[in-house]
Amino acid sequence: MVKRAANKKIAATMENFRTGFVFHESLNASFLAELFDGDTSYAETVFEDFLRDLPVYWDRVEAAYDNKNLPVLGTSVHTCKTLFGYVGFTDLQDLCQQFENKCSVSTVEELRLDYIRLIQRKERAQNIIEKEYDRLRKFNESNG
Amino acid sequence: MKLSCIIVEDIQIAADFLRKFCEKSDLVEVKGHFLNVVDALDFLDREKVDLLFLDVEMPGATGFDLLDSLTYSPKIILTTSKTEYAFDAFQYHVDDYLKKPFTYKRFQEAIEKLQQKVAAAASAPAAPQPAIAAADTDFLFIKAEDKLIKLKKDDILFLESMRDYVKFVTQGKNYVTYSTLKNMEEKLVGPNFLKVHRSYIVNITKIDDIRGNTIYLLGNQIPIGKGHKDEVAARLNIL
Repeated sequence: MVKRAANKKIAATMENFRTGFVFHESLNASFLAELFDGDTSYAETVFEDFLRDLPVYWDRVEAAYDNKNLPVLGTSVHTCKTLFGYVGFTDLQDLCQQFENKCSVSTVEELRLDYIRLIQRKERAQNIIEKEYDRLRKFNESNG
Repeated sequence: MKLSCIIVEDIQIAADFLRKFCEKSDLVEVKGHFLNVVDALDFLDREKVDLLFLDVEMPGATGFDLLDSLTYSPKIILTTSKTEYAFDAFQYHVDDYLKKPFTYKRFQEAIEKLQQKVAAAASAPAAPQPAIAAADTDFLFIKAEDKLIKLKKDDILFLESMRDYVKFVTQGKNYVTYSTLKNMEEKLVGPNFLKVHRSYIVNITKIDDIRGNTIYLLGNQIPIGKGHKDEVAARLNIL
């Protein structure tokens, strides 16, 4: 398994070399290399869509938490989890899954610390993707 | 030959990836993308497609609700980010299960597997074998195990659809015959048999009890489909 992970990292590095674009270290570069297959224009589109859609879905997360509606909170986080996956935040995707699972067995009070942690991670992710989107845009412009 | 499909998915990024993969493969033609089950069913009332890419969790009804409401049997590929639905996928006999986000390679594997299934079905005998029975007899014959088997209707607990086959579960033994549940529904007219789910017909005289949306009969659990609840309640005189 260690060897497979190392091979994936090598493949991602080679892909980055091929396209010239290196994704942020917080992102799952090997997964993004496979997902976009060197198409940095499409990556730019997906990152743009992520930045457009995440606030809309996250508003639902916040509303559900404020209204103490745990079933809706779970499904809203489920949606955001998918978005994180498509931009390479596979670890944040796992965190969302854990939170989603807890929504069906915990109270809002019990979820409070996890929720705060999730917000912090989400904001960090959003910040990184904003910068990555900007870098992709400039990369694609300069590569015509 | 290209498969026609629709995408039922409420997350635009996920739907866009799927559409892109379909175009890239040149094996699947996307006839439409729907954000919810109701709009998808409206479309399917007008136009049939070969394949559904179906998300599970969507606003309003779920992907499984759509499956309960289908009036025909297209190929189904479930797309979801939850592995917990794998068991339900098996129960609904879906053709494949793609965990989001999935790569083009994974998508390609699913489509190629599906194409092989379609090709195999096309080279199989054209017409499903009907059961040979008169509606007013207490038995029927089914073709199974390379022979015609006589089944007493009273021995039958329930029938389960398995795509192009039907499994007869009896008190003694199970039998699988190449036929459709719809065909069996036409043969099992009478007060004792009731379709409770798109994939199940039960012998109501064998029901032990009903808890929630599940029928229990002799150790077996049969789901009641959402589209069948009213009829089940009426037939079983549930107050």
